[in-house]
Amino acid sequence: MGRVERIQASFGTRNQQDPALSANGDNLALIVDYNGRPSVQLRDLRNGKILPLRHLSRNQPHSSPSLSWNARYVAVIGQRGNRRLAIIEDRVTGRSHQLVMPRDRIPVRLSLAPDGSQLALQVIEKGQWRIELFDLRKKIELDQPKLRSKSTQSVLGGL
Amino acid sequence: MKSNFYVDQSYWYCIFLLIVLGGCMSNPMRPMHGFNDALVQTSKTYREPSVGNKWLVALASYQGKDQIEMFDVRTRKRVPLPGINRADSQPISVSVSADGARLAFVQQRSDRTELFIYRRKLGTLQRIDLTQKGIPRRVTLDSSGKVLAVQVSRQGRWDVEIIRLQG
Repeated sequence: MGRVERIQASFGTRNQQDPALSANGDNLALIVDYNGRPSVQLRDLRNGKILPLRHLSRNQPHSSPSLSWNARYVAVIGQRGNRRLAIIEDRVTGRSHQLVMPRDRIPVRLSLAPDGSQLALQVIEKGQWRIELFDLRKKIELDQPKLRSKSTQSVLGGL
Repeated sequence: MKSNFYVDQSYWYCIFLLIVLGGCMSNPMRPMHGFNDALVQTSKTYREPSVGNKWLVALASYQGKDQIEMFDVRTRKRVPLPGINRADSQPISVSVSADGARLAFVQQRSDRTELFIYRRKLGTLQRIDLTQKGIPRRVTLDSSGKVLAVQVSRQGRWDVEIIRLQG
């Protein structure tokens, strides 16, 4: 059925949780303790470098990161005030999109489609788990391998 | 004349405010009601979502038993996964490749926690042994389904391990 090869183990940080690979396999998002606060960290697996995030340096504690195909979009569950919310950072435009749910639905986990067209959100409502799908196509540019322009490449690689 | 000027100014200020507020409050994410309603009607609870190009995979809970379920988002239909769910096992994490051909999952069976790859076309399961002893907790796949990132518990701390499958 094929061999198994471990290509990287441990990133030198204590307590790494919630890994999320980009679809192209070049990037990894994970949750690490930063000054005692669970924070999302984005790594380039080709050189091991930590990539900066503009909006996601706040709204901690973070959980459940998810990446689009080229890691253009980084989605995570974060916090604003006393409310949990879904946040998507666009690393090309520098914009962020936030999804605040009604107070009776608390977001817990999320998953972004590889091209960024859909977001699945696990919420807890009246003690029950639920998954809701959201369509993002009218608001964000899709992140597909063939649509990756030279300017996009330089922004994503150079950040 | 002067009062007209102030009325005009207030009018345009209000219009400007409405445009700005409207822009801020517009929700960029539209719920997919048809699919969401179909999930609610199954009388199961769903958690741990993983989205592929046109697939949603999740853990479904019904009468205290968890199992892995896969949906075609466009048709809203459940996709059969023969051989993936066992009566003596509880899945705790699942991830789907972009094309939906492979699923990686972590499951508990008696006192063991194990990592598996499921190849959908073949309906086969492959257990993935960690090279260093540890207990897997969460797993994620790249688009090809051949690279996995696994959260592993080792000696009281969480590590993330990257594994490549040859074939």
